[in-house]
Amino acid sequence: MSAVSSGLTDDELLEALQRAVSARAAVPPDFVAAARDAFAWHNIDAELARLTYDSRNAEHALATRTEAASIRALTFTSGRLTIELEVAQDSLVGQIVPAQPAMVSVLPRAGDEIVITADEIGCFSVEPIPHGQFRLRCQTSAGVETMTGWITL
Amino acid sequence: MRDDPSVIALVERVCDGDQDAWDEIVERYSPLVWAICARFQLSRTDTDDVAQGVWVMLVENIRNLRQPAALPGWLATTTRNECLRILRTARRYDPDGLPAEDLMPPDTSERAIEEDLIEAELNVALRAAFAELPEACHKLLSMLIQDPPPSYAEVSSSLGMRVGSIGPTRARCLAHLRRSPHLAVFLPERAGAIEVKETGR
Repeated sequence: MSAVSSGLTDDELLEALQRAVSARAAVPPDFVAAARDAFAWHNIDAELARLTYDSRNAEHALATRTEAASIRALTFTSGRLTIELEVAQDSLVGQIVPAQPAMVSVLPRAGDEIVITADEIGCFSVEPIPHGQFRLRCQTSAGVETMTGWITL
Repeated sequence: MRDDPSVIALVERVCDGDQDAWDEIVERYSPLVWAICARFQLSRTDTDDVAQGVWVMLVENIRNLRQPAALPGWLATTTRNECLRILRTARRYDPDGLPAEDLMPPDTSERAIEEDLIEAELNVALRAAFAELPEACHKLLSMLIQDPPPSYAEVSSSLGMRVGSIGPTRARCLAHLRRSPHLAVFLPERAGAIEVKETGR
């Protein structure tokens, strides 16, 4: 795209305007709302743990290998912690790496926060499996605080 | 294009904790983030994950931006990196590896992203200029950019304008749009010396 030079005809300018307006109109309102909400992070001390593995995507990549298909597994990684999750029959089991005790909070987008404890080897279990969107906040006894992005199982 | 003073002012206000300034940045540049994710052909869930990573990183790093005016470029690069990260989530034990060839969408090169960025910056300026047009011009141009475009007869009955005046009014409104200060950085020097920025390579 070159500059809007005075060499641009009226038709071209109108076309450029149309592209500009439709580029904005293509963005769903909830996408914009989520971006606005991200500003709340400026007064949260927790570090964001980002999704670094999702079995669902891996299945997609290795569609021919069936053994991977049974269990949904996710990994979230921040600078200092990794949170590994697996969806079991009727619970969500997780482990914090490096292994250490921690407080794990389940923060649903709608509903109340649930706090659980991870044992000395960092294992925890959330029952029942959270419905809808949620995120996990993890506070280790060493004072490291990490929060995952939104998760939908 | 990268020294838009209003971006610098917005960044400064965000550093002071101003949510309105943050919302304005989001309003301007979420189409850029969206477009880059679309270029990577991500699902909606993955797109949301990318966007969350991008915006949270911006919140965390906005004070460290060396040049606030370079914010749009930072957003484009960060979005591309986050898209690559999402594609890598399929490979648990090789976080640094690039996505498998067959997962790599066709054109996600840095150059392609740079084109998205240039177009996004122009779009921001065009939308800002458009928003400030007098109401009558805004209404007319809004109608004319509909897809498919309405006939002049439809425009006439909808806006109560004579068919004969639509063409001249359209020209006047577009001239008004061209004069907008928002578009000044995209316009060549007034006195000849037209230098169109080459972006094709």
